[in-house]
Amino acid sequence: MSRAQSLIDEACTVKGNVQVGPGLYIVTLCAPGIARTVQPGQFVHMLVPGMEAHVLRRPFSVYQADAAAGTFDVLYQVVGFGTDVMTRLEPGAVMQAIGPIGTGWQVPEEGGVLLVGGGVGAAPLFMFAQQLAAAGRDVKVVLGAQTKDALVTYDDYCALEGASVVPATDDGSFGHAGFCTAPAQEAIESGSYPNVAVCGPEPLMKIVSRLALDAQCSCQVSLERRMACGIGACLSCVVDTVEGKKRACVDGPVFDASLVVW
Amino acid sequence: MDASVNMAVNLGGLEMKNPVTTASGTFAAGREYDDFFDVSLLGAVTTKGVSLDGWQGNDSPRIAETPAGMLNSIGLQNPGVKALCEGDLTWLATKDVPVIVNVSGHSFEEYAAVIEALEADGRADAYEVNVSCPNVDAGGMTIGTDPASVESVVSLCRSKTRKPLIVKLSPNVTDVAEIARAAVAGGADAVSLINTLLGMAIDARTRTPKLARVVGGLSGPAVKPVALRMVWQVSQAVDVPVLGMGGICTGEDAVEFMLAGATAVAVGTANFVNPCSCAQVIEGIRAYCVEQGVSDVNELVGGLKC
Ligand SMILES: Cc1cc2nc3c(=O)[nH]c(=O)nc-3n(C[C@H](O)[C@H](O)[C@H](O)COP(=O)(O)OP(=O)(O)OC[C@H]3O[C@@H](n4cnc5c(N)ncnc54)[C@H](O)[C@@H]3O)c2cc1C
Ligand SMILES: Cc1cc2nc3c(=O)[nH]c(=O)nc-3n(C[C@H](O)[C@H](O)[C@H](O)COP(=O)(O)O)c2cc1C
Ligand code: FES
Repeated sequence: MSRAQSLIDEACTVKGNVQVGPGLYIVTLCAPGIARTVQPGQFVHMLVPGMEAHVLRRPFSVYQADAAAGTFDVLYQVVGFGTDVMTRLEPGAVMQAIGPIGTGWQVPEEGGVLLVGGGVGAAPLFMFAQQLAAAGRDVKVVLGAQTKDALVTYDDYCALEGASVVPATDDGSFGHAGFCTAPAQEAIESGSYPNVAVCGPEPLMKIVSRLALDAQCSCQVSLERRMACGIGACLSCVVDTVEGKKRACVDGPVFDASLVVW
Repeated sequence: MDASVNMAVNLGGLEMKNPVTTASGTFAAGREYDDFFDVSLLGAVTTKGVSLDGWQGNDSPRIAETPAGMLNSIGLQNPGVKALCEGDLTWLATKDVPVIVNVSGHSFEEYAAVIEALEADGRADAYEVNVSCPNVDAGGMTIGTDPASVESVVSLCRSKTRKPLIVKLSPNVTDVAEIARAAVAGGADAVSLINTLLGMAIDARTRTPKLARVVGGLSGPAVKPVALRMVWQVSQAVDVPVLGMGGICTGEDAVEFMLAGATAVAVGTANFVNPCSCAQVIEGIRAYCVEQGVSDVNELVGGLKC
């Protein structure tokens, strides 16, 4: 198996690192090599400085890239030691990131595309939405978050020309009240979106892909696994599929949902 | 780069242009790392453990980060020896680097059959026999914890090949020197150590184990003191060369293993942290030699003053 794209371990300079919601931050990194080649759905494997005895890198999807400026953004949620250390990165700090890694979203041949992003799962879908909108495709985006404050990608998605965005909040503080599975189901059952792509908590991905596949839609999911090497060598990150075990890092993170054994 | 330092070593008949190889299972066959540095720079590439017909490995999650290291329970997932020959060995043949194939088996016969298949292929330069897999002929236990089983499986492998035979020892034993002596009695040309230390990690919040298999193998800087101690003990117990590993991240770490008695070293978990680790370890050893006025890296082997 040959890989189309070669990987680099790039020294990335922090340009900004701002809180955008409860426990949610966006770090902007100057890394022209990655910024200019990253494809929608790909990720970087970051060696966060100041990690003490935490030796492994951390994988993060690229939220947005600006090829001209040579920068890319990562939207991250604080869930543990590493993401907490990341909140204290100051502009000027340098960290290594391997990228751009993985098999990202595939543009469906025809028909409208429904994107479902739960929580920070909205991040890896954004470049895909940009790509689809630029190609003039009919795109509907269902975004779920616990609260209005956590719906941090909403404005960016709304700014995309031609994309209709349906927000949902668990506490009902904005948009549809309840889980985003309901508006997702509605969109799938409308028949206007024969293609679905979903990223978020695993139960959400499982439900949405079931709904999509039952409705004869194509469906892609972006899966998370703990990763050691991040480049396909160690077999830490395997996903069970009908074709056997596949590596989330390079065979994914985006998989055809009909192949995934949940 | 200072060409005046002789970096070449001989590991039980395997000529290596420098003392650094990869720890099995952390580097696949090197293809993934070739984007980062030319794997031909290595003293040897050691491939992921291979069995006869391939194994599925364990369920996910397969890894957990732990202080200064990690646990893994990959379960020796591999596509089998035929696929290794067709894929990885064919790719490695385009590289100017010796290949050590790491061999596993669930029975003594399976080890022998893997080596037979590799002998027929002819492109492996040496074998590293991993005796740390659960094995039916050792009553479901790990062969590597029982000296008689180690001697049996090594002599069976020995009867199949004249190429350098390295036996990879498990650290999960009371007396590693005794196991090393059994490997040598079976005909090993060299021994390698340490494999991972059996460990466990728990998530207190969910009250669940962090690995699907509950227990796994510890590697990384956390194991280095144990590895150094075992390399030192084994190098004093047997006359064959030792391939040392366990937590090596820098040239200086590697030098410490050589001082403890290792002729060559392997870099494992460090590859996950920095994909150029192996190349940096090679340069670090060279830099140490230059700084210390050492003209031949072999002078370091067993050079510990105590
Ligand atoms: C392909 C991919 C893309 C991702 N993209 C994003 C993103 O855009 N934004 C975001 O906020 N998070 C993302 N994640 C999850 C992110 O990697 C984890 O939240 C992060 O590694 C947690 O690190 P920690 O040190 O804070 O947590 P700890 O719990 O202290 O981490 C301990 C270990 O577990 C691993 N780990 C913990 N949670 C996860 C997880 N969910 N997935 C994989 N490994 C995990 C860590 O990497 C580390 O090795 C992504 C994960 C993957 C696999
Ligand atoms: C993910 C992973 C997979 C491994 N797979 C194998 C294997 O297939 N065969 C083997 O003999 N050792 C295997 N090992 C053990 C390493 O080769 C090495 O002995 C151990 O990790 C200690 O070295 P380190 O601390 O530098 O990683 C594996 C280790 C890791 C971390
Ligand atoms: S993380 Fe090593 S193979 Fe995917």
